[in-house]
Amino acid sequence: MRFYKSRSKPENEYIAVSPDEHKFVINNPFSEQTRINGHKKEIRIYEDEDGFNYLEYKSKRYLVEIIEKIQNKYTVLLNGVSYSFTIESPISFTRRKYLEKQKQTSKFEIISAPMPGKIIELLVEENSRIREGDSVLILEAMKMQNEIIAQTSGKVKKILVKAGDNVAKEEALMEIEK
Amino acid sequence: MKIRSLLIANRGEIAVRIVETANKLGIKTFGIKTSKEPNALYLRLVDDVIDFSGTVEEIPEFLDIERIIEAARLNKIEAIHPGYGFLAENPYFAQRCEEEKIIFIGPSPSAIYKMGNKTIAKQLAQKNKIPLLQGSQGNVKNSREAAEIALKIGYPVILKAAAGGGGRGMRIVEKASQMDKMFKMATGEAEKAFNNPAVFIEKYVRNPRHIEFQIMGDRHGNYIHLGERECSIQRKHQKLIEESPSVAIHEDLRKEMGQAAIRIAQSVEYYSAGTVEFLLDADKKYYFMEMNTRIQVEHPVTEMVTGLDLIEMQIKVAEGKKLPLKQEDVTLKGWAIECRINAEDPQTNFSPNLGIIEKISYPKGKSIRIDSGIANFSVVTPYFDSMIAKLIVYAETREKAILAATLALKKFWIKGIKTTIPFCLAVMNNKKFIRGEFNTSFIEKDMKKLYYNERDDELLAAYVAAFDFAAELETDRTTKPNFERGRDISPWVLNKRLKSL
Amino acid sequence: MDVNGKLFTRFLERARAYQDQQGEAAIEKQHMKGKMSARERINMLFDEDTFDEVDAFSMSDDTTGEFGKKVSAIGDGVITGYGKISGRLAFAYAQDFTVMGGSLGSVHASKIAKIQDMALKMGAPMIGLIDSGGARIQEGVASLAGYAGIFNRNVGSSGVIPQISIIMGPAAGGAVYSPAITDFVFMTNKTSYMFVTGPNVVKEVLNEDVTFEELGGAIVHMKKSGVAHFVYEDEENTIRGVKKLLSYLPSNNLENPPLVEYCDSEIRIDERLRDIIPEDPNKPYDMKDIINLIMDRNSFFEVSSDYAQNILIGFGRLQGKTIGILANQPKVLAGTLDINSSVKGARFVRFCDSFNIPILTLEDVPGFLPGIDQEHNGVIRHGAKLLYAYADATVPKITVILRKSYGGAYCVMNSKNLGGDFNFAWPTAEIAVMGPEGAVSILFRKKLMESNDPVKLKKELTAKYREEIANPYVADDKGYIDEVIDPATTRKKLISAFEALENKHVNVPSRKHGNIPL
Repeated sequence: MRFYKSRSKPENEYIAVSPDEHKFVINNPFSEQTRINGHKKEIRIYEDEDGFNYLEYKSKRYLVEIIEKIQNKYTVLLNGVSYSFTIESPISFTRRKYLEKQKQTSKFEIISAPMPGKIIELLVEENSRIREGDSVLILEAMKMQNEIIAQTSGKVKKILVKAGDNVAKEEALMEIEK
Repeated sequence: MKIRSLLIANRGEIAVRIVETANKLGIKTFGIKTSKEPNALYLRLVDDVIDFSGTVEEIPEFLDIERIIEAARLNKIEAIHPGYGFLAENPYFAQRCEEEKIIFIGPSPSAIYKMGNKTIAKQLAQKNKIPLLQGSQGNVKNSREAAEIALKIGYPVILKAAAGGGGRGMRIVEKASQMDKMFKMATGEAEKAFNNPAVFIEKYVRNPRHIEFQIMGDRHGNYIHLGERECSIQRKHQKLIEESPSVAIHEDLRKEMGQAAIRIAQSVEYYSAGTVEFLLDADKKYYFMEMNTRIQVEHPVTEMVTGLDLIEMQIKVAEGKKLPLKQEDVTLKGWAIECRINAEDPQTNFSPNLGIIEKISYPKGKSIRIDSGIANFSVVTPYFDSMIAKLIVYAETREKAILAATLALKKFWIKGIKTTIPFCLAVMNNKKFIRGEFNTSFIEKDMKKLYYNERDDELLAAYVAAFDFAAELETDRTTKPNFERGRDISPWVLNKRLKSL
Repeated sequence: MDVNGKLFTRFLERARAYQDQQGEAAIEKQHMKGKMSARERINMLFDEDTFDEVDAFSMSDDTTGEFGKKVSAIGDGVITGYGKISGRLAFAYAQDFTVMGGSLGSVHASKIAKIQDMALKMGAPMIGLIDSGGARIQEGVASLAGYAGIFNRNVGSSGVIPQISIIMGPAAGGAVYSPAITDFVFMTNKTSYMFVTGPNVVKEVLNEDVTFEELGGAIVHMKKSGVAHFVYEDEENTIRGVKKLLSYLPSNNLENPPLVEYCDSEIRIDERLRDIIPEDPNKPYDMKDIINLIMDRNSFFEVSSDYAQNILIGFGRLQGKTIGILANQPKVLAGTLDINSSVKGARFVRFCDSFNIPILTLEDVPGFLPGIDQEHNGVIRHGAKLLYAYADATVPKITVILRKSYGGAYCVMNSKNLGGDFNFAWPTAEIAVMGPEGAVSILFRKKLMESNDPVKLKKELTAKYREEIANPYVADDKGYIDEVIDPATTRKKLISAFEALENKHVNVPSRKHGNIPL
């Protein structure tokens, strides 16, 4: 038994969404008829013999590079400045909007290392109360001591590192219970 | 005597810079290879490499005095240039060189010691009637003593490492309640960075300019100053952009401050290149901060406006020669700006950005000078500071220099890591910077965004991401696995496969 | 037959009723939750217009009694059928959450069982799209029996046809064991959960508060439990991932994996490989860089990328042919083997062996992770799983030792005497019973204690140990290594070695099955 022909898809549409919710609707990226947010754009991407990738737009050249790509999550470097996006299809974009509405505010907040370095000193203990803006530990990176500051108030639920540990970027340092 | 061989006890761009002058003077150069950076650019440019990479010692390579001295002796090297940082301002190292009859390219051990000890330096400044900021007489023992002094001179105050420089071990204390914590951090950092936890305290001037004077002395009692450098564009006491001359200095003030700088140098019978740092407040009153007894990162701006080679002068002075010119021969012509290119990400609070430099392309032009320590495939490691190159531009006027810097920065391309280039561009495009109205709190107060981009940039980046994603979908669609070929199995295998099931 | 006649009318009416049931209202219901409907998922998974549904009009069993509730839903909440994925036959079922929460009743279960039987008979991949509240309470034991029947067929098909589970909603209670038995589990982040006992029970029994996400969300299973092999941010990408995975796999255990023609036939000599290993033996590097340089461009597809990251597993291609790759990851825990990584690796080896996928092992392992925790939790028997899996596998097996290869871990990682077909080493390889520092401390303990300058002596002895023992040449001389190769030529070497092994066959003694240390 056969049912349903697949529903006709909107023409080759991709939606790039930035972390601060800037939205770019891109139609037909391969064609000369590329449209972004409804406006026709003439953009060309090419590589030169030195291995740099360029983008040409309005007769200006831009140096571009995709520096990170995890599934549909991208970080693009354009003239040395990075921009992050997730690329959504019209369907997944709807899903995204739904999930955002539903987003339960998590009870826990994880403080993670903003850069690789070494833990010099912990300034709080487990189960101690902290306030937003309090320094929770000192991380040494590139010979500078940096205070890591709590972004929320709450109770220190768990400390995941100890003084002397080397930590990677983004590594979780402690859990805060709001 | 003429120096014929030179050990460069440093790395990165300054090692490359020293090689350049040494080559010009026909001096054979030696570089030190470490396991942390075995393929660094400077190693390709020196005449001979001394390999420290085989064994890893407790003491980092460029701080290991005895190992460096030993290497110099074994290779019969006549002189050592310490560059900046590392052992450049270590009086004991200079002393050891003297003992081993190796020429240390820099001032005498006693000059380094006296200027390195902030307390002595201040006493000398006071004796020579150079304006000073109020503060502790010498180092403070503990946070209680620090708090007492602070109360006397009034908050805000600044804690500084007695042995320090470059912003490390420095903490501003706004109110009494912060003293304990800040004292601990300052001493901790000082201990780490300089092996000496001693700190002193002084009055903190809000929003001053950082002005420094390049001086030069020889062993015959001659001194000159080479004008000022404006280094107010700083973040956490790390300089990011420097220029020479400064919009804040007029001819009379230059003369006065220059003379003050020379008096400081005279007080310790200084020879070689040195820098006297001042704070300049809004009323154009200046205060002596410290003297750096080394060549500095930002020396190229002075070279550009004076037309001199400071490294060459250092070497000549070390050989015992007299300074090649007198104060009245020194003229400052045009305007030079230096942008430090650090492997740091201005979008995430200047966090270090490590990795491999896949490709690098420099801007070219008559007015452009690049001092770089990297090349294609260089690795940016966490072991050393994050500065990878410097862009220096020169033009007739400040306005033109800013424009030249903007153009050059836009053509300075690095693939593989993020750098401070977009930050430098943002500064060059800042109205207050262009007007010359800035001080050391410029970055915090006058920059809304720490990187430069244009209106359509994000849109274009979005396009690149969408393009790549679409291309991947296309590849998925066109990559057709041939399942039939999977059924093409030799009878030899198939028979046995069947039987063994 | 008269298309306007009575007989045909009934046929059309039924079809219309089914269409209505799965129509806009139902789709909307799913979309409101950020999910797609079962029908949309099926359409996305299969090539356009190739899916044929089976048992579309089965009706749920009548139930009686207090909890009895007659349901008039057509199909009993599951779509079953077959079609083509990338041009190849595959079977699938998709649970429909809009019908009684996708709960599993006896008819629902027998539909799934029927399609599982067909897949096994035809020797084609079986894919389950799971979005179900679990056993249908009203039907009682009948639905539990239904589950057991499904599990039984999952086990029966294991190692015969590839089975893939895609979790796109809840999978709770006993229902989780079907995915657990299948070869690969995909989950869609934020809208799928798996747990044996849910948050309510946890609260009741243990009085602990935990959310669905924290207890059994996709991230938890990807990073902590290792239950999920792949997690994607939305359903379209999840299904793309499934299709991508299938492109590496054969239809059954008699076939070879498919060939991707013209994907990357180049035999490259890549000099970058010579510089990739840091000079300092204690410095980490990213094994993925090496894999990407050796395999066909963009062909590496990692499995369980966030779990037990000290071992890397995944599929790649060499000149279009599928290869299963296991590699130690020096970036994580220095690449040591521990309980989780051993189990992760072992299951992957078993999968590859079942489906005639040759195995490439890239080795840089300083040993097993030491610690009370590891020993008490049974690193002995878990480590043995990896060893057993390697030794038991009869597919072509090649090992390249890149750097460290010490002690028991050397033996385990497909060493020559464990049955490696070709064992290569890079000149940077260090093969020995233990690392230089440890060996010197044991062998020269007395001498070191008596020495005036033990630090210096130790350094000298370490250097000597490296030169005399911890290198690839001793093993090469004795035949434990077939060849020490130039890293730049690794791809070339592997292509010809795997080609030589293409017709490999090993006679295994007949037995019911071995007794792997589970």
